Amino acid sequence: MSSDMTEPKWSLRLPADCSIAAIRSVYDLIREAFGRQDRLEIDCSSVDKADVTSIQLLLSAAKTGDAQGRPVVLTSFSQSLRNTLRRAGFASEAMIDQHFPQRKDGV
Amino acid sequence: MSAMDPTEVFRQEASELFEVLEGALLDLGQRPDDRELVDSAFRALHTIKGSGAMFGFDKVASFTHEFETAFDRVRKGEIKPTQELISVALAAKDYIRALIEDPQSTDDIIGEAILDDLKRFVSSDRPAAGVAEIVEAPPLAPVHSKQAGWHLYLEFESHILRNGSNPLDLLDDLCKLGPCFVVPVTDGIPFLDEMDPEDCYLKWDVKLHAACDKAAIDDVFMFVSDEMKLTLSPLEQVEAPAPAPLFQLLDEEPAPVVEMPTPVVEVVAAPVAVEPAAKAEPKPAVKPEAKLESKPEAKAEAKRDDRGIATVRVQAERLDELMDRVGELVIAQARLTQLAASGSDLSIKMIAEEIERLASSLRDTTMGARMVPIGSLFGRFRRLIHDLSRDLSKPVEFVTTGEDTELDKTMIECLADPLVHLIRNAIDHGIEDTATRMANGKTEQGRIELAAVHSGAQVLVTVKDNGGGLNTARIRAKAEEQGLIAAGAVLTDHEIHQFLFHPGFSTAQTISALSGRGVGMDVVKRTIENMRGSIDLSTRSGEGTTVTLRLPLTLAIIEGLLIRVGEGRYIIPLSAVEECIELTAEDERSRGRNFLNVRGKLVPFLKLREIMTASGTPDRHQKTIIISTGETHVGLVVDQIIGNHQTVIKSLSKLHSDVTIFSGATILGDGTAALILDVAQLVALAQSKVEKQHISEAA
Repeated sequence: MSSDMTEPKWSLRLPADCSIAAIRSVYDLIREAFGRQDRLEIDCSSVDKADVTSIQLLLSAAKTGDAQGRPVVLTSFSQSLRNTLRRAGFASEAMIDQHFPQRKDGV
Repeated sequence: MSAMDPTEVFRQEASELFEVLEGALLDLGQRPDDRELVDSAFRALHTIKGSGAMFGFDKVASFTHEFETAFDRVRKGEIKPTQELISVALAAKDYIRALIEDPQSTDDIIGEAILDDLKRFVSSDRPAAGVAEIVEAPPLAPVHSKQAGWHLYLEFESHILRNGSNPLDLLDDLCKLGPCFVVPVTDGIPFLDEMDPEDCYLKWDVKLHAACDKAAIDDVFMFVSDEMKLTLSPLEQVEAPAPAPLFQLLDEEPAPVVEMPTPVVEVVAAPVAVEPAAKAEPKPAVKPEAKLESKPEAKAEAKRDDRGIATVRVQAERLDELMDRVGELVIAQARLTQLAASGSDLSIKMIAEEIERLASSLRDTTMGARMVPIGSLFGRFRRLIHDLSRDLSKPVEFVTTGEDTELDKTMIECLADPLVHLIRNAIDHGIEDTATRMANGKTEQGRIELAAVHSGAQVLVTVKDNGGGLNTARIRAKAEEQGLIAAGAVLTDHEIHQFLFHPGFSTAQTISALSGRGVGMDVVKRTIENMRGSIDLSTRSGEGTTVTLRLPLTLAIIEGLLIRVGEGRYIIPLSAVEECIELTAEDERSRGRNFLNVRGKLVPFLKLREIMTASGTPDRHQKTIIISTGETHVGLVVDQIIGNHQTVIKSLSKLHSDVTIFSGATILGDGTAALILDVAQLVALAQSKVEKQHISEAA
């Protein structure tokens, strides 16, 4: 699994496989990052495999961050992730923005 | 208690699913329009795929997926399942089974060839690709349509993702029915700490703008109907044009979810209409009072109720072990009963009676747990007949009845091979070729009936064909040729037919891959008799043959009649006992002829004292027990009838395997052993004595 904690310290890059086959380890990564950082940035540019579990995990991360006052920012959605979001009904940019707090420096 | 290997659990489950799949495919050959069969086949395929992926059988999952995809046109009703298609689908099923049970024996090339065949058959009448397909796409609601579509609310059970099901695929399928407006409902998403990342929390609120019927929507969810809640209500009628199928216009990979133009959302009077950019999170639709409960949901509810009557998978060895323990308990209880009877302590007698009652009840419950419907066995022969029918070019209709009849699981296992022999013989020798049948004024298609029915403490299994019947003259000629009977000997047709059970006896003029070597019927007979059953043949020339197997319900514990002959005690299976009568002085005087007059019918009898070479003087009032196997009755003369006895059957040692008149032994209450008489052998012995008598009288 390729994931790394890169500078700035609060950035976490998701691995390519974020499907149910690997979601438990992705979940552990995010929880671990949550434990370390006040503010978390999740880089989604490498996500190649996504499904319902990946969407739910990102939604949960955003919800948890919001509740704890520790902002979670998602960056650089890969095309694969966008397609999965669209299939799940997050069909417009407005809708994605509403559910997934993003910093738009990428795609 | 050791846990079962999960992959072994999958193999067992898959094995059951293969039976369902095979049954459905074979039935489809007969009833190509039966949607329920198609659905049943697909459910089995889908479960195999999902479970295969979950247990790491990736090849199984991917091959099954291809199979599913290729067969999808059948599900959609676009093509009919022809016999050729069914044959290829069966081959695909066999390949998946091999991938699970013996992956080393499989070859990717074979799998690819099967899939190619499958695709070729299902695409043979496919319309031209490209434009034609777009034309054939699901019809859109016409302008000013009165049919607005459907409002769906989808809520899946939390474990559904682990089963390999993917709600996004279902949404894709739904969107193929027509323009969809899909809104994810995220209010069930938990905080990270409370989350199981493999559970499903998302729900969906969908508006489907298509003039499809409810059945089409049910079809989309049929594989997961047990694992979801689907609320379905019709959208109110609108006078607005249906939205354009935007997905056809997207330049990227067609996304099934279609963003609806805002006006449409506004005019659709759905219970809750949430715009994509709405600030508030979409809430589940308020269910209208007149909502329609979808069929899958109703089914799901019913199945949830059924879960109250849960089944538990138990290893067969444990059931055997349990039966052994119950057997030991029954023996111990018999000893206790005997001990109590010999004393005068009333309380001990009461306890002994109570334990006897409990042991008897426990025995029945345990035996019931070992009972398996014979239908599980019958299902296997459908494929056999399908293949034989194809190989021999003899169209055969296969009819089964009494599939719910239950037999001990050991009996079911033992019965498989004999039935294979009988069915092969019926097709190969019994059913005539098409030309002969037509010339004899018969239907082109032959018929084989496999039936099971309870008859007292026995189960009768019959294999009946409507072929040409047995050629009695040829059997007789062959018997004479082999020196089994003297030329010109007087024998009934029934007696002549018994030569078919003689080792090495075959009247087949040619030896085929299927039969004709004369090794079969004798093995069948021996196997059935080893199960304490009997086999009988009846035939009518030109009309067919019926083979009847009479089998005891169980091999473990039987009700027996305990008798005494000289100093020895023996058990006669109660199921074979017809009646008990006293041997009169007149009967005694018929010495040399050994026949009883039972209500005007002559019944041969055997004096067990002579057979057992019992010492001492016989009782003054000897009893005769009339036993039967099917149509044949024989009297057994004994010194004393002691009474009923719950008999736990123990096998005889190999040293005694050649003593054919005993089928086993049991332990009595006083710890001594009693031998169990083999009824079929005794009847055969009596018959042979009668025959010898006939021959000597004729001489």
